[in-house]
Amino acid sequence: MSIFAVALDQPGRSVVMTGNEAVARGAIEAGVGYAACYPGSPTSEVLPTLAQLGDRFNIYAEFSSNEKVAIEGVAAASFAGVRSMTICKVDGFNVALDFATAVCYSGTRAGMVIMVGDDPSAHSSVKEEDCRFLARTANLPVLEPASVSEAKDVTRFAFELSEKIMLPVVVRCTTRICHASGNVTLGDLPTLEKKAAINRDQKFVTNVMFAPFMKSKLKNVAAMADTSTFNVYTGPENAQRVVIACGVSHTYAAEAVEMLGLGQSVGLVKITNTWPLPENFLLKYLKQAKEVVFAEEVDSFLEDGVMTLAAKHWEEVGQIRFYGKNSGDMGGPRGSYAGELDPDIVAGCLGKIFSAAYSAPGFTNVREARELVSSMPGRELALCAGCPHRASFWAIKTAVELDGRDAIVLGDIGCYTLGLMRTGYNLLQSVHCMGAGVGMASGLGKLDRFGFRQPVISVVGDSTFFHSVPPALINARYNQSNLLCVILDNETTAMTGHQPHPGRGVTATGKFSEKVEIENVLGGLGIPFTVHDPYDVEGSINVVYSLLQESGPRALILRRACALVAVKGHKKDRVYVDQEKCAGDECGCARFCSRVFACPANIWDSQSRKARIDEAVCNGCGVCASLCPRNAIVVERTV
Amino acid sequence: MNSAVKGPEDLKKEVLDRNLCSSCGLCVGMCPYIKTVRDRAVMIHPCGLKEGNCYRVCPRTGVDARVMDNAVFGSERSDQALGFNRGVYFARALSPEKARAGQYGGVVTALTAFALEQGIISGAVMAGGSPSSPEPFLAKNEAGVTSCAGSKYTAVPTLTSLNRAARDGMENLGVVGRPCQVTAVRKGQQIGRENPGSLTFAGSAGLVIGLFCFWSLNPDFYGFLREKSGGSAIQRVDIPIEGLTLTTAGGTATWPVDEIRPYIREACQSCIDCTSEWADLSVGSTEYDPAWNTLVVRSGAGQSLVNDAVEKGIIEIKSYPEERLPILRKAVLNKKMRVLEGSGGPGAGYITVGDYAGEVKKQWEVLQ
Repeated sequence: MSIFAVALDQPGRSVVMTGNEAVARGAIEAGVGYAACYPGSPTSEVLPTLAQLGDRFNIYAEFSSNEKVAIEGVAAASFAGVRSMTICKVDGFNVALDFATAVCYSGTRAGMVIMVGDDPSAHSSVKEEDCRFLARTANLPVLEPASVSEAKDVTRFAFELSEKIMLPVVVRCTTRICHASGNVTLGDLPTLEKKAAINRDQKFVTNVMFAPFMKSKLKNVAAMADTSTFNVYTGPENAQRVVIACGVSHTYAAEAVEMLGLGQSVGLVKITNTWPLPENFLLKYLKQAKEVVFAEEVDSFLEDGVMTLAAKHWEEVGQIRFYGKNSGDMGGPRGSYAGELDPDIVAGCLGKIFSAAYSAPGFTNVREARELVSSMPGRELALCAGCPHRASFWAIKTAVELDGRDAIVLGDIGCYTLGLMRTGYNLLQSVHCMGAGVGMASGLGKLDRFGFRQPVISVVGDSTFFHSVPPALINARYNQSNLLCVILDNETTAMTGHQPHPGRGVTATGKFSEKVEIENVLGGLGIPFTVHDPYDVEGSINVVYSLLQESGPRALILRRACALVAVKGHKKDRVYVDQEKCAGDECGCARFCSRVFACPANIWDSQSRKARIDEAVCNGCGVCASLCPRNAIVVERTV
Repeated sequence: MNSAVKGPEDLKKEVLDRNLCSSCGLCVGMCPYIKTVRDRAVMIHPCGLKEGNCYRVCPRTGVDARVMDNAVFGSERSDQALGFNRGVYFARALSPEKARAGQYGGVVTALTAFALEQGIISGAVMAGGSPSSPEPFLAKNEAGVTSCAGSKYTAVPTLTSLNRAARDGMENLGVVGRPCQVTAVRKGQQIGRENPGSLTFAGSAGLVIGLFCFWSLNPDFYGFLREKSGGSAIQRVDIPIEGLTLTTAGGTATWPVDEIRPYIREACQSCIDCTSEWADLSVGSTEYDPAWNTLVVRSGAGQSLVNDAVEKGIIEIKSYPEERLPILRKAVLNKKMRVLEGSGGPGAGYITVGDYAGEVKKQWEVLQ
C-alpha cells in the first residue's frame, strides 16, 4: 500500500505514509532524477522507495559504496542539470562532509537535496550527533520539517530553494519524523523533461575566492526565510513567554502548552529554516519576549543561533531569560544533551520554567504493572538466532584465549557491533565509526617498538569493507602493520535492512551487477587472505589461531549468508534436543547452549530441567549441535 | 582425594596457571570451555561452576597411590619401583612390519591392533601424525594403529579423542597413553563408577596400555626438530642413552641429551609415575636391546590379552634378564626419590604416596 500511496497521481488527496516515504514523494513531486545513498537508519527506506519507482518516474537510484561517493555522484547529476538527492544518516554525512564543504564554493545547478537523518536517543546508532553543525560548517542551508506531512512539502521546496540559490540544501529529519506515519496531502506529479548535459564552458570549481558569493547566497536564504510560510508563530499577541521549537519538538511543545493550559500566555514559534535563521521574523517575537524556551533535539543549535541573534540585537530586544539545553532546563531523564524529547518531557520542563502545575499522566494498577514487567522474560540486545556472527565471535574468542597473548579485538559499525555485549561474548574493545577498527589496528600494529606484543584483530562486515576498509588496508600493507582483518561476510547490509552492496551481485533496483569480490580486492592489495565458513566453528578456531601466529597485514573472510536471508523461501532444518542425551544440570557444560552460547533459539526448559530449542525462533544453522559436548542436539536436514 | 568440592577455577589456579598441565587431554571435550593448543589446555571461558569433573579427572590434582592400587587391581603393590604387576618381560612383535614400524619391539602396535581385531576394543585412542606435528588419533583398524607407531616424545593430548569418540557413541575404547593419561582415565573411571552418567567417556574406556615415560617435551621442541631436520620429513625420533637420534631421508644424526633438557615440561619434573602404574599393561624400551620392549603385565585383563597374543603368535615374550631388572628399578626409584626428597619442583606430591613413602625409600636404599 505504501509504495502505492507514494506513486499515487491524485493531487489534493490525503494519504497515509511514513516520513521517509513522504520525503521520497516530495522528491518525486520535485522531479528528482538521480538519487544515491549508503543505507543508514533512520533514513534507509527513502532510497529503496525511489528505486522501486525508478522506472515509473524516470529516476536513477543507487546504493553507493559510501556516502562520499554518493554525494559526489548526486552533485554531478546536479551539475548536468538533473535534480538530485542523497540520503544518509548523520554519521554518513560526516563521511560526505569533505565534499560538502567544497561543493558550497563551486555551487550547484539543478536542485540538489541532502536528506540527513539524526537519531536522538541513538536508537539505531552508537552516538547522537547534530547534523546542523555540519551543514553550517559546509555553508549549506538547513530545513527541518516538523511533521510527516511537512516532510513531503519541505523536501519538495528544498529542491526549488537549492535551484534558486545554487547550493545543496540539507533537509534534517529525526527518527520520529522518518519512522512515523501520518497524513500527507499529495501534490502534482512532475511533467518536466529530465535531460543531462554540461556545456563545455560550465565550471564547478572550489576556490576560496568564491567565499563572498557563497556567503551572499546564505544571506538570500535568510531573507527568504523571513517570509516563508514554513516558519510560523502561534499564540497571543505580544507574548512575553515564547517557546521556540523546530522539527518534531515543535509538535511536542504545542501539546505541552495545551496540556499546561498556557495557550493564553505562551507564544510558540516554529522554525523550519534552522540555518540560516529567519532573522527579522524571529526579532519580532524576541523584542516582546521576557522569557524564551527552546525545544529541539540532539544539540543546542537553534538555541545558540537565536541567542547569537539576541546578542547582536541586544539594544532592541532588551533583557531576556533563555531556557534550553545550555541552561539545563530542557531535557529528559538523561539530561539536556542525550535522549529524545517527548510531550511529557517538554511539558515537565515548561511546567517548571513557567511555574505551571503539571502532573505526569497517572497510571492505574501501577503495582500490578510492575509485577507483570518483572515476570516477563528479560530480552537483551542479541544477535538473531542462527546469526553467523555468533559462531564467528565464539571462534575468535576461543582462538584469542588459546593464543593467550591478550589479543586486542577492534570493532566497527554493523550488526557485529553487538560483539561488545554478552551476545558477542564481550569480545570487542573498541567501536567508533565505519572502517575505524582497521585504521586503529593499523596503528596498534606499529607499536612494537614500544613493547606492544599483543596480536591485533579488526572485525568488519562485508558492507563496511566496501564502504571504508580498503584505504586502511592499503595503509597497513604499505607500512607493513601487524594486523588480522576478519571480514564477517554475511553477503548483505544486514543491520539497516538487507540492502544490497557491491559484493551482492544486485543493485538497488534489483538488477544484476557483476559482483565485486572481496577476495579480488584483497588480492589486488597484496593482502594474504583465507576464506572459511563460520558455521564450522572448530575449523574457524584453527584458522584464526594459526593466522594469529603470523605477522604483517592479513585477512580472513568468514563467509556465511545472514541467517534471516538464508531461510527466506526455504524450509528450515529442524533442530531439537534429544532429551535422553541432554544431561541437564548434570552436564559440565553448565547450560552452555542457553546460557553462554546464548542463541535466542537455545532455551532452558525449567520443568524438564533440560535444554530445548525454541523451534519458532530457530533458523536451523546447527552450530549449537556442533558445540554440545553430549551430542544431544539433533539437526534434521530438510534437503 | 581431596577434590570433592573443587572445580574449574581451582584447576586453573592450581594446574593451568602454574604450568603444571601435562596435556593429557581428558578435561577437553567434557564441556565446551577447555580446549587445547600446542599441547596446552586452555580454559577459554569461565563456566561458573564450583565443582567440576575437569578438576577431578586431572592427573595433577592429586591421586592416592594406595587407593588407586585397590581401585584398579583390588590389591596393593609390593614393588615400589614398578607398581603392582603380575610379571615383567622382554617382548616383541612377531610380525616384521609391526616390529619395524614400532619404536623398539613394536609391542604396543601389535597388541593394540590385536585387541581391535579380537573385538576387545572398538577403537584405540593414540598419538598419530609425525613427531614434528603429532595429533590425537582414533584408530579403528590395524592400518590406523600402524600409522601411529613410533614415539612422539611431546605431550600429545590424545585423550581429547577419547571424549570425542565417546560423544559420538563409541564404547569399549582402548587407550594408549603416557602415565599421566593412564592416571586421568583411571580417575575418570572411578568418578563414573561413583556417579554413572556424569562423564561422557566413563565406561567407554576398555583396555589401557601405558607407556614408560620419564618426561615429555614442551612444544618448543617442534621448533628444535624443524631446525635440526632442516625441513625434511622426520621418519623417526629416538632418545636412547646416547642422545637424541633423528632419522630423515637424508640419514641419521644424534645430539647429546643435554641439548633437549631445556625442553622438558615443567609438569613432568615432579611426576613419580614413570611406568604407567595403573595401566593394564605397560610398555617401554629395554635400554639394552632395541629389538625388544619391556612389558609389565599388571591387570587380569592385561594378562589374558598377552596370553592370547602369545598363543596366536602376535608377540613373543621372554623373561626379563636378571641383571637388567635392578637397573630399570633403580632408574625409576631414583626419580621417585628425587621428587619425594628433593625440593620436588612445582606441584610435587600430586601423587600421594602416603605410607608407601617409607617403602619407596627402603627399596631404593637396597639398590644403592
